[in-house]
Amino acid sequence: MIEVTQETRAGWLVVGVKGRADAETAEQLEAALRSAVDQHSKVAADLGALDYISSAGLRAVLQSARAAQTKDVEFAVCGMSAPVKKVFGMSGMQHLLTIHGELPC
Amino acid sequence: MLTMLEEVVLLAVDEQTGHLRSTREFGTAYALVGAVFFDLALARKIDTGTETIHVIDPTPTGNATLDLVLAGMAGKPQLTTVRAWIEEIFLRRDDLEGRALGSLIEQGVLRHEKTKRLWIIDVERFPMVNNRPQQHVKARLAQAILTDAIPDTRDIMLVSIAEQCGLLGYVLSDTQLNSRRERIRTLCNLETISRKVSDAIAGLDAARQQGVGKIV
Repeated sequence: MIEVTQETRAGWLVVGVKGRADAETAEQLEAALRSAVDQHSKVAADLGALDYISSAGLRAVLQSARAAQTKDVEFAVCGMSAPVKKVFGMSGMQHLLTIHGELPC
Repeated sequence: MLTMLEEVVLLAVDEQTGHLRSTREFGTAYALVGAVFFDLALARKIDTGTETIHVIDPTPTGNATLDLVLAGMAGKPQLTTVRAWIEEIFLRRDDLEGRALGSLIEQGVLRHEKTKRLWIIDVERFPMVNNRPQQHVKARLAQAILTDAIPDTRDIMLVSIAEQCGLLGYVLSDTQLNSRRERIRTLCNLETISRKVSDAIAGLDAARQQGVGKIV
């Protein structure tokens, strides 16, 4: 299960993600993030309420960042919960993504 | 579209001679298991955590090789770690390379030639019938490594498997590879499957060195 919200804050479109990002929900997550990228020039994925992320979930985030890069949209990942932060750290996603400890807005 | 396994095996075919380049025999076998896992992940049949792997949909993909591995995994739910499954598939010796070559011949990409050397030794070659798929694979690898853009998921997987098979040297020059070593490391580290295949290869190398040490 995953819950996705959207709100605009200080020039950023913040996509809040809650629940588990795995193979079952990755498609929904990627669709939500890509839709945000289509709508706005600054997108932040707030993963503070995400309990778990699998490889499929990581791919969804990375491919959304790729879509943003192609469209010249600023894309940041922020507010990660401890387990999610650990997974991001192990995969070295910080080398390809902009990661903030807190929301950039 | 070729599978990840077929793309990597195709990359191992020498375009001029049709011979298979085999640089790291056992390492390659592990890496090909990783390629099958990537194919299953792309087909949304399996998913991985930082250590674990599990089947999320056991229904067949329609590809005989992938379905063989998928059925094996679905039948052994007690094996839960990526590392354990890499070892399991490796030990089953399913001849993943042979199956991929057979499929590439069937798809009209390669043909099979068998000749005798000194009238006794069988020599197999797989000359290209259509070299475009291999050129496409090489172009994607070069693009993923030589630019700083975020690559497509398939290309990230392809870089890691090609690296583990020791095949990147057939795509890029030493100078290019040396200047992009950090980028290659970054891409190889992204996926749990790649990290665990690397661990398995490192474990094998360590065991071999210990074995050599004992003999010496």
